[in-house]
Amino acid sequence: MKLTERQSDALSELINIAFARTGAALSELTGHRVLLNPPEVAVYRTKELRDALAKFVPGDVASIHQVFAGPVAGDALLLLNYAGAVQLTDLLTDEHEPSNFLDESAREVLTEVGNILLNACLGMFGNLLNVHVTFSVPRLHLETLDELLASITSNKTEIHYALVVYTAFQIRDSSVKGFLVIVLSVESLDRLIQEVDAWEAQSGR
Amino acid sequence: MKPKSLMTESSSKETLLNAAVLHWMHDLAAQGIVTTDSELNVVEWNHWMFDHTGKRRVEIIGRNLLELFPELTQRRLDRHYKWALEGKVSVLSQALHGYLLAMPAVSGKHGFTQMQQAVRVSPLSHEGRVIGTLTIIEDVTERVAREAELQAQIEERSRLLSSEKLARNEAERANRLKDEFLATISHELRNPLNAILGWAHMMRLGKLNEANMERAVETIYRNAKSQAQLVADLLDVSRIISGKLRLDVRTVDLISIVTAAIDSIRPAADAKSIRLQTMLDPAAGPISGDADRLQQIVWNLLTNAVKFTPKGGRIQVKLQRVDSHVEIVVSDSGVGISKEFLPHVFDRFRQADASTTRIHGGLGLGLSIVHQLVDLHGGTVAVQSEGEGKGATFTITLPFVGVISQKEAEAVHPTESAEILSFDGLPSLEGLKVLVVDDEADTGELIGEVLRECGSEVIITRSAAEALVALEHHKPDILISDLGMPDEDGYSLIEKIRALPSERGGNIPAAALTAYARAEDRMRVLRSGFQFHLPKPVDSAELVTVVASLAGRAYKS
Repeated sequence: MKLTERQSDALSELINIAFARTGAALSELTGHRVLLNPPEVAVYRTKELRDALAKFVPGDVASIHQVFAGPVAGDALLLLNYAGAVQLTDLLTDEHEPSNFLDESAREVLTEVGNILLNACLGMFGNLLNVHVTFSVPRLHLETLDELLASITSNKTEIHYALVVYTAFQIRDSSVKGFLVIVLSVESLDRLIQEVDAWEAQSGR
Repeated sequence: MKPKSLMTESSSKETLLNAAVLHWMHDLAAQGIVTTDSELNVVEWNHWMFDHTGKRRVEIIGRNLLELFPELTQRRLDRHYKWALEGKVSVLSQALHGYLLAMPAVSGKHGFTQMQQAVRVSPLSHEGRVIGTLTIIEDVTERVAREAELQAQIEERSRLLSSEKLARNEAERANRLKDEFLATISHELRNPLNAILGWAHMMRLGKLNEANMERAVETIYRNAKSQAQLVADLLDVSRIISGKLRLDVRTVDLISIVTAAIDSIRPAADAKSIRLQTMLDPAAGPISGDADRLQQIVWNLLTNAVKFTPKGGRIQVKLQRVDSHVEIVVSDSGVGISKEFLPHVFDRFRQADASTTRIHGGLGLGLSIVHQLVDLHGGTVAVQSEGEGKGATFTITLPFVGVISQKEAEAVHPTESAEILSFDGLPSLEGLKVLVVDDEADTGELIGEVLRECGSEVIITRSAAEALVALEHHKPDILISDLGMPDEDGYSLIEKIRALPSERGGNIPAAALTAYARAEDRMRVLRSGFQFHLPKPVDSAELVTVVASLAGRAYKS
């Protein structure tokens, strides 16, 4: 399944609204101006995900994973490479000495950041689709990309798609790249795209 | 279908289990657990919460959470409850929030007075509808303290590691430089040695004609001399390194020191048709320092300038007073210094790049010696160059001491006071007439003043020609002459005088003022007809003593 250019644009715009909220929330929380770069959106089949992400996240991946359930269901993840995850927590917590690893407190910060971002995006989808979605408690995982992808596709027999949103956190003159991956069933994705089309038509563009 | 009794049994078992779970959460859980309904009225407040806040269930249950804890709204944490009611889960990390509800830390030993908390606020849903919220609070004070400790240890270790690495790199660099230096030394020492050995060998074979013989001796002499200079430089460096270099500090007149250095470098500059321009400000002296070493500083800079300035180039020497210090500026129109090498010009063992050294020879120690000597004088030396081919300017700054009277000098150096000869203790020069020749008016005046102080009559002239006239006219008893003078130098003057009959002053006792008191200079001075040499800058006591002793004897050829 491929998004048309218009659909891709509309979806980017919607996600950008959620990103703006996330940036504002993080800025307020940390006292530093936090911006998220305008998203780039693409849709892949889950089995294509590995190739799509591998070149951007070699080695260990830090992922904040939230399952969402309801009329639209799936997995939402924020992916960062390990070094990026360390840098992001350092920047957010005013750590002057750069760390080399994520301790428990850093993992918690990362979980909170992922949670804010995922909540904003999924909340936006929920509002758009006018459905009530429930969320699981976010979990942070440190593993290889393969292990991660295996864990989110293992118990899914039907075909799934992944909405991949590429962005970067801009904090204190530094940039940390990350991915938002939302894995949806065909049905859920269809429904989302229909609503995006409707939103776009309604907003009269 | 199961029999009804079994269903009842299993459902009653489930009810029992649920009750047990609630009991566990309430009494035994090691986390704070707070439940509210969809209006945020508190439904559950477990024992842990009572333990840590001191607030009992009866005070809390049924009341609105945000009203009970207005700080939640003040700290904008109420939104997590709003989100929970929208079905969203919130994570509140210790690092970004510290805590949700203020509670005292269980023990003060971790340096926190407030308990550090990690919090989850979740919606409680039933059939797709949010009916309440669940807050779980975990005490992470000890963990946070442990992490901080660990982080500090890691930083300390990495700091140690990097400083050790730095020290090792530095040691390796120093070692490498020393190797390069040794390679250069052996090359530089072997070069003249090859010439010496080669020509000496030819001489032994006896196959040289007279012209070649002369050339051989000249070459051997020149090479041995250059080797001696290398060794002298090396000794200086080793003395400086070992801290054995002692300065003989006196109040000295920089003009005569700079002039003396210029005099001694002039032949080399002339040989390359390099123009030497001097701008010496008479207000620049005196300073306190070691005359020989100061002269060495200027001489090294000048040698360097001559070495690196091509034929027909220009070298400018400026001596000026700037505020409370004196500046000696030596600039040339030579090969210049690249930006990369500029910071390393004064490094010991940090030779100029190999190719330059090969072209120009020498150990490149001169500037390092200059730096060390200037340092010892409490001054600074700086170098400027616009780049390769654009010349270089060396600026030496020395502290100005102002004019120190004899009394003050004694106060400054009380330990030396016994060695300073007062004018009272000096031999009287009463009745003596001394002719002083020096192109530098200041030096001439200084000498004149000292001599007059001791009772002699003094005639000061500025050139050899003037001196010859004064000799005939005033019939002086003693001659004190500078050697380096424009037009006609001191050697030429004394030769002319010695050629005169004794009644016209041909036998007048004479002392030369020499810039560089090297053995060969002394020899030349004495051979040319002087009886004494006085090193510049002139020491008053020595001057008077020399004049007194000269008064006792006339020149006998």
